[in-house]
Amino acid sequence: MHSPAPVFHPGADEAVTLTRGPLDTAAVLAAVSDPAAGGNVLFVGTARSVTADITTSRLEYEAHEPLAHAMLAALLAEARRRFSLAGCAAAHRLGVVEPGEASVAVAASAPHRPAAFAATEWLMAEIKREVPIWKCEHRPDGSHTWVHSDPNTPPPETHHE
Amino acid sequence: MPDNPPPVRVTLFAGMAEAAGRRSLELPWTGGTVADLRHRVAAAMPAIAPLLAQSAIALGNRYAKADESVAAGADVAIIPPVSGG
Repeated sequence: MHSPAPVFHPGADEAVTLTRGPLDTAAVLAAVSDPAAGGNVLFVGTARSVTADITTSRLEYEAHEPLAHAMLAALLAEARRRFSLAGCAAAHRLGVVEPGEASVAVAASAPHRPAAFAATEWLMAEIKREVPIWKCEHRPDGSHTWVHSDPNTPPPETHHE
Repeated sequence: MPDNPPPVRVTLFAGMAEAAGRRSLELPWTGGTVADLRHRVAAAMPAIAPLLAQSAIALGNRYAKADESVAAGADVAIIPPVSGG
């Protein structure tokens, strides 16, 4: 019922965090808590070890941090307006992420659940489309590939699901 | 007082930094647009030209349009196709 203490960048208008440590996904969900909300959705994306038969030993993320932070804040503000949310928050991990660990978390709360589900899906699509964060896939043989999919073709869903 | 305007500082990321073998460079700059800057960066580092053609350009903390003017001393980032999530 009570607003949690600010856990992300105190003073920022929106709940955005970029961190090199493990993601505190419970804190992302707690950040959207609001007495006006009846539906609270948390999406957590985790590093997957196999993509299209290719084994990935670990992922690594890099960002243009000030721009990524600004864009995430703008996306949260847009989501809040577009889906009439009570609250929303986003966190992305940078640096090395081991298989099974969380790389991204988004949460949304709304009076009813359809808006909260729609908002988290929209936020994830926008994050993957335009926030300046890049993923490197490291393989067991020591080789690696930075992923730069062509924005003109549908994203190949290289990470989630 | 310096005789020449300060260079534009260009930052590279991820696979583009790897292809270029560097994370930044300074370009002498006497003025021009974002589109002009693209040509200058491609000429300076042909190895990244293919990826550059698919990239956005950021001025400071926002994405820039092709016809925007780039000031001397500006901080420019090349943003190749993203893959977060």
